[in-house]
Formats: sequence, structure tokens, C-alpha cells
Amino acid sequence: MAAHENSVRLDGQGTWRGIRMMLPLAAFTVAFGLAFGVASVHRGLADWEAMLMSLFVFAAPSQFAALELWPAPVPLLPLAAITLAIHTRHMLMSAALYPWLEPLPRRKQFAMVILLTDSNWAMALGEYHRGERNLGILLGGGIALWSAWVIGTALGLAFGGGITEPERFGLDVIMLCFLLMIVVGSHPRAIMVLPWLAAATSALFAYWWLPPYLHVLVGALTGGLVAVLLPKQWFGADAS
Amino acid sequence: MNPAMVWQSLVAIGTMVFIAYGSRVLGLLVMARVPLGPRVRRFVDAMSSSVLIAVITPMIVHGDGGTRLAALAAGGVAIAWRSPLLAIGLGMGSAALWRWWFG
Repeated sequence: MAAHENSVRLDGQGTWRGIRMMLPLAAFTVAFGLAFGVASVHRGLADWEAMLMSLFVFAAPSQFAALELWPAPVPLLPLAAITLAIHTRHMLMSAALYPWLEPLPRRKQFAMVILLTDSNWAMALGEYHRGERNLGILLGGGIALWSAWVIGTALGLAFGGGITEPERFGLDVIMLCFLLMIVVGSHPRAIMVLPWLAAATSALFAYWWLPPYLHVLVGALTGGLVAVLLPKQWFGADAS
Repeated sequence: MNPAMVWQSLVAIGTMVFIAYGSRVLGLLVMARVPLGPRVRRFVDAMSSSVLIAVITPMIVHGDGGTRLAALAAGGVAIAWRSPLLAIGLGMGSAALWRWWFG
């Protein structure tokens, strides 16, 4: 436990492991990307517009939301506001990775979060809590998901019009199932019930009463706050 | 598409890229200024799993029967076998089946 700070590393072997671990989900991500490609064709986006988004924005929710504002001229302020609201969770996610990334030089830290997205973050953090220190898991997972997303978008643009109702095949619950798997499969300590209950409740109220997409921020901060306010003995000796 | 529209679209996509990457970096920048004591670690740890809880809860509460059944199936698999592939497969299958049956 004491020496884990200096065993943080990033190598090809870990990256390859991350890629392989993410492959099953990446297969589904191809389907997501396909759905985005199809949707953007229907929306009247040029192929290069959709492709640029998938290559560089690399975030399904904000790309789908942006489609609602297309085609050009796109209202920039609403676009920025929506994108910002959706991406507050990525701010929280990179913050949660900081203890792991801390030993790296600043430039590498910034490079490591380029391909950070929900699924590889969740997987990597789960592994981190089980003692994994190889950052390749995060990077490899990101590479697998990014490739799948870009390939899927290209397929959707090329063969647009095939899948019009992804929910008929249950494609919309993939993310939910995966995230549930991570939460439940992480063997949470019983004490976490309290922060999680607080997070779930506050997220729901925020979802009902606040502007769209802010519920994740509210829920996450509430959960963290409750954990800090509880007596630290309840968390046992190795609270980290 | 005329050049003005191309530029407008490029600016829009650029805005998205800036915000999407900027928010990922911002989390690191904030944490770099906060000393990592045991309390901060506890906050960050609980916050990280709470992010997932906060994403999942409204999905389930506002989802249709198929979504809820999928959550139940995936949660069950996660507890019993810890296999992501099986959790996703069963979840998708049960959602599709529910919607085929009741949709």
C-alpha cells in the first residue's frame, strides 16, 4: 500500500491489455457510432462535419445533442452551453483520476485525458481500486473506444438509413448495463450506501428541477460531500 | 455549401472540441491545486462512484419497462458472475424482448 505511488507507469503492454479489455464494449460502440452517422445523414450534416466531430469531440451525448442545432448556421451560445453542461461530468472524472496521474509530468497528464470517456474511465478506475497502477488500461480502453466510434461513424455515413430505431434492438441500454456492471461489480463497502443514496436522490431532484444535464454534477458532488461528512472511522483504516 | 457556412460549421465544431477537451483538463488543473489529504481522497473516491450513480438513476427512473428490466438483468449478472459481456448481452436481450412483446 505504501509504495504504490512510485509504481505508476504507462507502457505498451498495459495499453494492449486496456485495448483487449475494452474490445467487447468497443464492438457495441461501433453500433453507437453507426447510429450517430445515420442520424447526422438524416439531419443534413456533410460527411466531413460528422467525421470531424467523431474524430475530435469524441463524446456521444454532446454530438447527438449538437445534431439538434445543426445544420449551419449553428447558434454558438446554446451549443457552448449544452456542450459545457454535458461535459461537467468529464471534469469530475479527470479529477477522480488525479491521484493516479499525479506522479506524471504535466504534459503527460494532459495527454492521458485526451481519450478519456465514460466507459474507459469507469473501467480504469475500477481496476485502480483493485490495485492496478498501469495507466495503459485507461489509454488502451480509450484507443479501442475511439477507433470503434470513428469506424462506426464512417459506416453510418456510408450506409446511412439502415438502422432507424436503435432502441428496438436494445442498443440504447448498452451504456446503462455497462455502468451498472462497474458500480455493482466494484464490491463497494456497505458504508457507500449512504453517499450513493444521497447521490441518487439529489441527482433525481436536479434532473426534475434544474436545467438539463446538471444532475450528474449535483449527484456526484453530493455523494462526495456526504462521504466526507460521515465519521471517518466508518470507512476503515485505508480510506484511500 | 458556401465558404461562409463551412467556416461557421468549423467554428461550431471547434467550440465543441475546446469545451470537450477543456473540461477534461480542467478537472486535473483543479485537483493540482488541492492538496491530496485523506479527506480529499475520500471525497474524490465517493464522488467518482457517485458520478455513475447520478448518470444511472434518472435513466432507470424515467426509462420504459424494457430499460428497467435491462437494469435488473445487468445488475443481477453483475452480482452473480461479474461478467461485463454477459451483463450487457442479457440487458440488451431483455430490453429488446420487452419492447417486442409490449411495444
